[in-house]
Amino acid sequence: MRARTIQIITLVSILFTGCEEKTTNIDITHDDGKPVLALDYRDFDQAASTLVQSLLASGALKKEGGGRYVVATGRVVNDTMQRIDTDQLMAKIEEEMLNSGQAVMTSAVGSGTDKLIHETRELRDSEEFDQSTIAARGTLIAPELTVSGKIFQRNIRYDKKTQQVEYYFQLKLSDAKSGLRFWQKEIIVGKRGSNKSVAW
Amino acid sequence: MKALTLLFILLVFLATGCYEPYDSRIHVRDEVKSDSIIDNVVTRPVAKAFSALIGEGIEVDEAILRRNEAGILELYINGHNRAYSTRRFRYRVEWLDADGLVLETKTSVWLQASAMGKSPFSLKAVAPRPEAVNFRMDTRKWE
Repeated sequence: MRARTIQIITLVSILFTGCEEKTTNIDITHDDGKPVLALDYRDFDQAASTLVQSLLASGALKKEGGGRYVVATGRVVNDTMQRIDTDQLMAKIEEEMLNSGQAVMTSAVGSGTDKLIHETRELRDSEEFDQSTIAARGTLIAPELTVSGKIFQRNIRYDKKTQQVEYYFQLKLSDAKSGLRFWQKEIIVGKRGSNKSVAW
Repeated sequence: MKALTLLFILLVFLATGCYEPYDSRIHVRDEVKSDSIIDNVVTRPVAKAFSALIGEGIEVDEAILRRNEAGILELYINGHNRAYSTRRFRYRVEWLDADGLVLETKTSVWLQASAMGKSPFSLKAVAPRPEAVNFRMDTRKWE
């Protein structure tokens, strides 16, 4: 009787162990995981890579007479059904623009504004601070170029069982003084999957 | 009579062999172009099966490097797909500096590419920084 009980406990333990989903770390560099209907980091990586390569190849960041352009990040609209922090895309693009040696990003204006830049300037009348260590008036550099964009989504019924989800990544680079657009690019990420899956 | 038939077949083969496309830059696919004695609705399935059997796939013909006006290195890969079916694959380009060291960049990720059956394809990659002087590229199956 006792041996039988031990056998049942062992069997149940094995069955429960088999059902447990293991947690694993993703190999970010060579991810062989299945694609998902929603946007995941691989989609952002691909979009950012393609956009940056297009921007660098266009020569729009090549400043005549040398030097680097001052670039501000404008609004990147998320018009998808997903809660996306658009910084997920822009942080990669900004990093590559900086590393290219052709542009510097400004934190003084735009969506990448660092509030402390302005807050430290509000200390000009404070007796608590050595006034010579506070940034003087007229020291901020205005952006010469602005980057803005949009990510939007279209859901299409492909057939009875399948839906098609299209994601559009659009980015544009404009001259802040003249308003002229120097570069723009659209990347499409298309996915097909079960109607039962939810793309958000 | 038998000799005459053989002669006719030989002439047709020779004539087909002499055929030159109007312009090599224009690719007219099977089932769009006219059938020939060696490429028709009967021979095509055999050729496709043989191609699959010997495992034909992508081949790279040339890799061209050039520096653009902004001083950034650009890589152009030209190749062709020997298989009859569309080949989907992923590729990743890493850029190397003058010391042969890999430049760290967010642009070196696996990107998707595809080449239709019996067709040429081209890929383009752009270095992230002017320091890049060389590259290395890897491919893998598009799962």
